[in-house]
Amino acid sequence: MHSALPPRSRRGLAAVGALAAAALVLTGCQATPTPPSDTPTSGGTLTYASGDAEPTCLDPHVGGNYPQALLATQVFDSLVSRNADGEIIPWLATAWEVAEDGLSWEFTLRDDVTFTDGTPFNAEAVVVNMNHLQDPATESSTGYLALGKVSAVEAVSETVARFELTQPDSALLESLAQPWLGIESPAGIARGMEENCESPIGTGPFVIDEWVKQDHVSLVRNDDYVSPPADASHEGAAYLDGIDWRFIPDSASRYAALQSGQVDVIDNAQPDTLAAAEEAGTLTELDAPRPGASNRIELNSGKAPFDDVRVREAFVRAVDINDGIDSLFFGSATRSYSPLSSVEVAAYSDDSLFDVDLDRANELLDEAGWSERDADGYRVKDGERLTLDFPVSTNQSIPAEQSLFEQIQATAKDAGFEVSISLLDLSGWYTALGANEYDIVSAPYTKLGPDVLRILFHSSGITPAPSGYFANHAQVSIPTLDELLTRASEVTDETERDELYADAQRLILEGYYVLPLYDQQNHFLIGPAVSGTRALPTVSTPTFYDAWLTD
Amino acid sequence: MLWAVATLTFFAIRLIPGDPAEAVLGGPGSQASEETLEQVRRDYGLDQPLVAQYLQSLGRLATGDLGSSYALKVPVGELLAAQLGGTILLAVVALALAWLIAIGLSLWSTTGGRVAASVGQGIELTSAALPHFWLATVLIAVFSTQLGWFPPVSTGDLRGLILPVVTLALPLSGFLAQVMRGTLLDTLDSPFILSARARGEGEIGIRLRHALRHAAIPGISLSGWALGYLISGAVVVETIFARPGLGRTLLQAVTLRDVPVVTGVVIVVAVVYILMTVVTDAASRLADPRLRLEETR
Repeated sequence: MHSALPPRSRRGLAAVGALAAAALVLTGCQATPTPPSDTPTSGGTLTYASGDAEPTCLDPHVGGNYPQALLATQVFDSLVSRNADGEIIPWLATAWEVAEDGLSWEFTLRDDVTFTDGTPFNAEAVVVNMNHLQDPATESSTGYLALGKVSAVEAVSETVARFELTQPDSALLESLAQPWLGIESPAGIARGMEENCESPIGTGPFVIDEWVKQDHVSLVRNDDYVSPPADASHEGAAYLDGIDWRFIPDSASRYAALQSGQVDVIDNAQPDTLAAAEEAGTLTELDAPRPGASNRIELNSGKAPFDDVRVREAFVRAVDINDGIDSLFFGSATRSYSPLSSVEVAAYSDDSLFDVDLDRANELLDEAGWSERDADGYRVKDGERLTLDFPVSTNQSIPAEQSLFEQIQATAKDAGFEVSISLLDLSGWYTALGANEYDIVSAPYTKLGPDVLRILFHSSGITPAPSGYFANHAQVSIPTLDELLTRASEVTDETERDELYADAQRLILEGYYVLPLYDQQNHFLIGPAVSGTRALPTVSTPTFYDAWLTD
Repeated sequence: MLWAVATLTFFAIRLIPGDPAEAVLGGPGSQASEETLEQVRRDYGLDQPLVAQYLQSLGRLATGDLGSSYALKVPVGELLAAQLGGTILLAVVALALAWLIAIGLSLWSTTGGRVAASVGQGIELTSAALPHFWLATVLIAVFSTQLGWFPPVSTGDLRGLILPVVTLALPLSGFLAQVMRGTLLDTLDSPFILSARARGEGEIGIRLRHALRHAAIPGISLSGWALGYLISGAVVVETIFARPGLGRTLLQAVTLRDVPVVTGVVIVVAVVYILMTVVTDAASRLADPRLRLEETR
């Protein structure tokens, strides 16, 4: 529908109705956009432009990355969801009960849901999906990890599915709420991987109609949709006729396309773009920090010099990042002092540990034996310079973040640290990490719930997986912390769980293993014609089920 | 030649760090489990020694089978066939436009006296030095965001083709014009032009009827090279303007270590290059009767 190019502002004009108000928008006198309409209307195709890499498979069970989750959110329903308060709420499952020993869960399912290919949704479908995720032939990563403690799933009746566990899992509901565990049609799965990657079939508000590789995915409305999550704004089918899902890798082109009205929503909006959009005043921003870990700098405590807590604290005290975050992110990112994302209820933060104090840093380094300086002003000990290797992934760190790292490099020099940054592509970056050739590193990690702490800070996460991947980059190895994290992953009482996680985070922060930066940034810009878009409070992917276009 | 290209690509892509098995599983850092990785290595023959893998892929290539993409799980031939058209269209139209600009520019700069000569030379040098990514960004800022004449990203129709084509054609026209102007000036000094002038032909006629033909010859032989230049430029242009095509496919495949797709793209480009050499040879013959004479002798 956007083949021709009448600027989208024309639509906005019609919507606002009053010419005077429109003139205000056009002359930019208005700081906030006028909501086009409060009453949802059906019809129209929304064009979404993604800056993420095009998925190689649209079935989120296969692999399991964020680009897949963005699309899966429109096509699949999960068993449960999470609301804005962090509570687990019904979706395809209406109720659930855990056995006394925590080793068995029973999910009661909706009995009125049908997949878009006509296959009925029932307990057997849940069994097929979980088996599909756990089958190595599916090549699942994220979903496979999420079901790590599940030993078997069986259909007790048409509407009751039972999960058997090897150990109690306090994160099971959060795991199941993720879009990577969306429920697919068993008949669709039976077609085999190739076909299911092209057009996986769900029960969700939209159906994949066509995937033109390297160009777009067409989604059309599921007219028979009945199963929105419990926190949706309406019932029944979606308002939009469909979604045209495009891939525009270049950030400037993406914003230009949004400005010209060629697309309606863009993701991965960069800080400079957000500042420009705010000035323009006609676009709406959706700021949806991702759950799981905050973006943080991890200090490799597994080898010198950061095996000494004094050196770690000295680094954290020496680098001044608050001004850098403000200026480089144009105010779009808020400084974090927690290992967890601010969307996690269990997040614990302590800013007093992170006061910048150069004198204290110098004192600590003198104490740790790094008391001499060489001609360039860097500290030395036994003839070796205090050098910190910092491999930076250009795929994972946006340009603003890379600039922030350069500022860290500059301020760390005052205390006598030489920070050696190398910009690497993803494979090179993983290779450097796998070879333990790093002292500082920053890696995002998206997962629903505080159990992400176990993945990032349990000592078992130091041993690399067969693929070379390991998550405990700070190489934290504290027996009491391991115990706290294991216990927290098994208790069912939420208050107790949150307390255990708070203790764990305190240990991590006070040990100066991480320097928290900000939440994992996830900004969307929405054109003036679109209303009703929200991010699902699971992994913060936007859902267009409640969205409508004003024409 | 195709064999050499296939061999070089096969080994070069294994020199960069990264496990092709992870390409299958959604890219590096996919956190794949041991079972999953082993399954993939077995399925794709990645557990076999390198030489065996090499011979296998050569054997398949010899029968015209480009294999299956690790990442997209579809036959490479099918994938590339769908992407080839867009890139060829882009490259051919850009080449044609570059020629038009180059001819116009060199005719003007050799006719208009001293000032035109130095201005023309300046334009050639500047445009030849323009990086694609910069030019593309500026064109979008001016013609899409400011003026609203053209869509910033591809729409699949003619309007969406203009900015990408201009981005590719401008720097190339600079190169072509530089070569053409040199030959044009040399030719204008040669005896047969003098005799044409003596016959009373006008300056315009001399250039169009006689000199241009000579001046075009080095440009034509350059066009083979130009096509390679355009295809490498397509990687940048297709990414910025979000156009489907070989360039973008190649970029994604390299990032994902998708060996069969990279090999496939390189081979397709090599084939196009060979075809282009044949075409430019024929075109040179048309433009230069001496080449035809040599053959008949």
